[in-house]
Amino acid sequence: MPEQPEVSIRNLSKSFDGIEVLRDVDLEVKSGEVVSILGSSGSGKSTLLRCINWLETPDRGEIRINGERIGLQDKTQKPMSRRELAKVRTQLGMVFQSFNLWPHLNVLRNVTEALIYVQGLKKSDAVERAMAFLHKVGMAEKAASYPATLSGGQKQRVAIARALAMQPKVMLFDEPTSALDPELVGEVLSVMKDLSSEGYTMIIVTHEMDFARNVSDQVVFLEKGIIIEKSAPEIFFHSPRSERVRRFLELDKVV
Amino acid sequence: MDGNAWGLLLQGAWTTAWISGVSILLGVFLGLVVALLRLAKIPFLDQLLGAYISLARATPLVTLILFIFLSGPTLGINLNRSTAAIMALTLNTTAFNAEIWRSAFNNFSKEQREAAMAVGMTPWVYFRRIMLPQTVITSLPNLVNEMSFLVKGSPAIAVIGIVDLTRVTNRISAVTYDPLPPILAAGALYMAMIGLLVWGQRIAERKANRLAM
Ligand SMILES: Nc1ncnc2c1ncn2[C@@H]1O[C@H](COP(=O)(O)OP(=O)(O)OP(=O)(O)O)[C@@H](O)[C@H]1O
Ligand SMILES: [Mg+2]
Repeated sequence: MPEQPEVSIRNLSKSFDGIEVLRDVDLEVKSGEVVSILGSSGSGKSTLLRCINWLETPDRGEIRINGERIGLQDKTQKPMSRRELAKVRTQLGMVFQSFNLWPHLNVLRNVTEALIYVQGLKKSDAVERAMAFLHKVGMAEKAASYPATLSGGQKQRVAIARALAMQPKVMLFDEPTSALDPELVGEVLSVMKDLSSEGYTMIIVTHEMDFARNVSDQVVFLEKGIIIEKSAPEIFFHSPRSERVRRFLELDKVV
Repeated sequence: MDGNAWGLLLQGAWTTAWISGVSILLGVFLGLVVALLRLAKIPFLDQLLGAYISLARATPLVTLILFIFLSGPTLGINLNRSTAAIMALTLNTTAFNAEIWRSAFNNFSKEQREAAMAVGMTPWVYFRRIMLPQTVITSLPNLVNEMSFLVKGSPAIAVIGIVDLTRVTNRISAVTYDPLPPILAAGALYMAMIGLLVWGQRIAERKANRLAM
């Protein structure tokens, strides 16, 4: 029996105000794979990622996490209850461009909040697990600090720890370094690189070409909501099939 | 003013304080409930609550109090004066508080909500753990402002015969023929009550200061 993909996206389409932003997108991500999604601004990268955990509701298509349907009931095709949806979402961790930490909670509680109130862990267990993940991203010393006092790179590492602590099957990253000062990009990428070598399954929207080249197993290029190239990084960066990708890469070199 | 006059004055102050206090507590809580019901945008109920808010905000307190007190017996309900006063003050302040809560909820960051959904929080857990604690803090100045309006508007309850802090000054000066001292004392007591509210607000704000909004 072939291995079941960790994430499978089939025929995904989504429009905003009658404008098609994603069109018949198919993508399979195997366990332990790192997939980078590239494309110019407005090509639908964020929308694709946000459909995977149903922050956007697709118009058509189906998404499965480990075979389990998200968003719609498998049998009836009716929308899941919010409770069922929340449950499936715990299998997906998400890291946002603008960190989205909760400002009224300190670093530790940003991580423990969902452990306690979603997973139902005892407080002491939640703290123990949170500290382990904060340690992993190098933020254990800042456990008592509030988000407002952290740098962008530190905030993003806390956000990564918050997502990891839920022990999801798949991590989704939406331009995790785009809001950072250049000198802070490295610390976040290095955490993400560690995760990939530990075998985390990751889907990453990024503009960091070197990172995509060195860390990905698959590179996907979106253009106007259509996947026009999907290949291994060696092929993608050296001999892409599509003329559009070639131009995109040249443009990147010039800049 | 003799000891007797001071005793009357403090009784009046107590009447104002407890009737206002109960109305404030009810009004903050019911305002929250109304705001949440309106956020749910339930057809018909939403229009009904919208109409209530417009009406309650446009009706003078004195009118509202008289209406409630006088319409009670007509409907076969025997309201005592304090209950009628609390009902009127609460109906009035709830409408203002509902709008304060509602605008705080509407302006709340969508990003924080998405982060909560992404870790699998249900809407209720998100509301209770993420949104509510922060909107309490951001709404507090406006809520306290509305509380002090209520205290300052509370002399309206004298219209149904309650002897509150303002009304009692009349009673005192009717005996002493010297209206100024009781009025000055009443003014100081009003200031103390509102000062207490503002002081409470400051403490809450200081606790929340590390919040970067
Ligand atoms: N909530 C929304 N309502 C209406 N239009 C939207 C919404 N979200 C995205 N869009 C539109 O959909 C298109 C794709 O947006 P998306 O954010 O997915 O692009 P992107 O590839 O992530 O771009 P960027 O690199 O700038 O982040 C854009 O034209 C955008 O304006
Ligand atoms: Mg985007």
